[in-house]
Amino acid sequence: MSGVGPRLEPPPRAASAVPSLRLRGLSKRFGRKLALAGIDLSLDGPQIAGVVGPDGAGKTTLLRALAGLLEIEAEEALVLGFDLRQDVRALKARVGYVPQSFGLQRDLAVLENLRFTARLHRLPEAELRRRADPLLARMGLAPFVDRPVGALSGGMKQKLAVVNALLPEPALLVLDEPTAGVDVVARGEIWRMLEERREATLVCVSTSYLDEAAACDRLVYLDGGRVTASGTPADLRAALHLELYRAWGDDPRALARAARTLAYVASARASGGFARIEVRPEHTPGEARVLRDLAALGPVQFVEPAPLDVEAMLLHLARRRIAPPGGAGLA
Amino acid sequence: MSAPAIVARGLTKRFGEFTAVHDLALEVARGSIFAFLGANGSGKSTTIRMLIGLLQPSAGSVLVDGVDVIREPRRVRDRIGYMGQRVSLYAGLSLRENVEFYAGLHGLAGAELEGRWGRVRERFELGGAEGERPESLPAGIRQRAGLALAMLHQPRILFLDEPTAGVDVASRGLFWERIQEEAEAGVTVFVTTHFLEEADHCDWVCFLEAGRLVANAAPDELRRRFSTGYRVHLAPARGAAEPGWRDEVRRVLGAAGLTSETAQDGLVLRVPALGGEVFATLRRVQRELEARQGARVRIEPPAMTDVFRRILAEAAP
Repeated sequence: MSGVGPRLEPPPRAASAVPSLRLRGLSKRFGRKLALAGIDLSLDGPQIAGVVGPDGAGKTTLLRALAGLLEIEAEEALVLGFDLRQDVRALKARVGYVPQSFGLQRDLAVLENLRFTARLHRLPEAELRRRADPLLARMGLAPFVDRPVGALSGGMKQKLAVVNALLPEPALLVLDEPTAGVDVVARGEIWRMLEERREATLVCVSTSYLDEAAACDRLVYLDGGRVTASGTPADLRAALHLELYRAWGDDPRALARAARTLAYVASARASGGFARIEVRPEHTPGEARVLRDLAALGPVQFVEPAPLDVEAMLLHLARRRIAPPGGAGLA
Repeated sequence: MSAPAIVARGLTKRFGEFTAVHDLALEVARGSIFAFLGANGSGKSTTIRMLIGLLQPSAGSVLVDGVDVIREPRRVRDRIGYMGQRVSLYAGLSLRENVEFYAGLHGLAGAELEGRWGRVRERFELGGAEGERPESLPAGIRQRAGLALAMLHQPRILFLDEPTAGVDVASRGLFWERIQEEAEAGVTVFVTTHFLEEADHCDWVCFLEAGRLVANAAPDELRRRFSTGYRVHLAPARGAAEPGWRDEVRRVLGAAGLTSETAQDGLVLRVPALGGEVFATLRRVQRELEARQGARVRIEPPAMTDVFRRILAEAAP
């Protein structure tokens, strides 16, 4: 069992029974670039927390910091009760991490990769199989345990990365865009795994898929290295004062084009059988007015106020840009 | 009907033992947005590269705008715009310098260039970015700039390979609005994406799985075949409804030959597709409820993601 790389310290007695994190003024600088500019974030208890925000907002840096992979500065930085500014080896033993770029050994077989992880966590072979076999079966990977990882499809690789991260039964699971570019079936399998753990594990996952963001218990919106909003999707939606409509018709694209000529319309595009029409936040024309105006513009079959979807919510947060620190959170 | 903008027959690409694309047949109507979907590694990029003459097929034929791409790849160049997965902007050159470079490739200069670029710049909200180098621009703006450049020579056919990958949701929305405007103006758009809900922004959907087509139809046709259909929720808008509204609504639905189920806070109607008659009935229901406590009619389309899950489940060997 020697020569398999550094061993992690065995997990100490749980620092706290409930997985939680508490960050205040957490920042990270790469040379001249300030990637995280004072993160304030508290998450208490098992849940799926979705980390969302524009490209370059600091999502990957934040997730790496949570996994204990970065030296950071902060006023307070407690993850599972461990201080990120001190020795994080004990924390690492309790974190499962799926990096954005695939991190497993391509020339090793599926099971060999898992065995390597098991050794780092001092899991005996029997325990490895006890934990890994059901996970592999659930993910449809059981027939491929002897296949070199490099020969797996993209979806299978990501499923394996998730199994690998789950192996130490972590209290905190950190996943950086685990489903990016993955086929829709594998994406569903990965999310079922996450959802099964939302009662016991603190899951922090970044995603650019709208349906995945909608499935999170809590969303953490990052912009410019800060948390500019966080809350349940329902809370964040309730804080929006936006009107969104669907106008159904035979030619939704023409309806969208017509809608764009209305002064209060922020954006309109065809989607399926309807034109999705978003009203400028400073306007509230109301359903009756929108219906009247659209009917005057073209052949509309039916107009309905649409539920504010995650897309509308994220768009609104993106347009708001960086709020002043302090009074920024919606939650 | 004019001839299709793109016709591929028996298109196949083998890399040694591995068949990346297998006997693909597709037709793209002029002025349509054609979604080419599939997971990473399903053969999307390989196909697109064959369609634009960047990669020689192992077998099959491709006509783009009537030109045989395999025999005359050069003749295709001026007719198409292409934006690759790695946006083809030169780092080190400012956006403006990139514009001049691309314009030069297509023999564009002077007032004509300025006029076209001015319009494109405004439509894609690139005014503030002109002096910037691509590497210092956020992904969303870089992507829009890439698209603007691909359109500068006013191609009749646009090939866009994963134009919304890695782009934030605001830019994705703006992007689709612009693409739909292009299609309205008669441009044919061939676009790949792995955001399945984006299929709904398109006129036609092809789904590639391990190098083979498993779906080739309009989005609504896929919905009809691979989902339980639309769910329409009907309820009065305000508080506890007066008794009897359900009977009234059922009567209206019944007259149109539709039946509903009782749900906790209203009635639920399921229809395989929406159309003139269903909408007319919904308007009647709306009026009926409106006269009482106000109407709440909500249409819930089946999610494209679920449609594709089912397509893949049925396609599985």
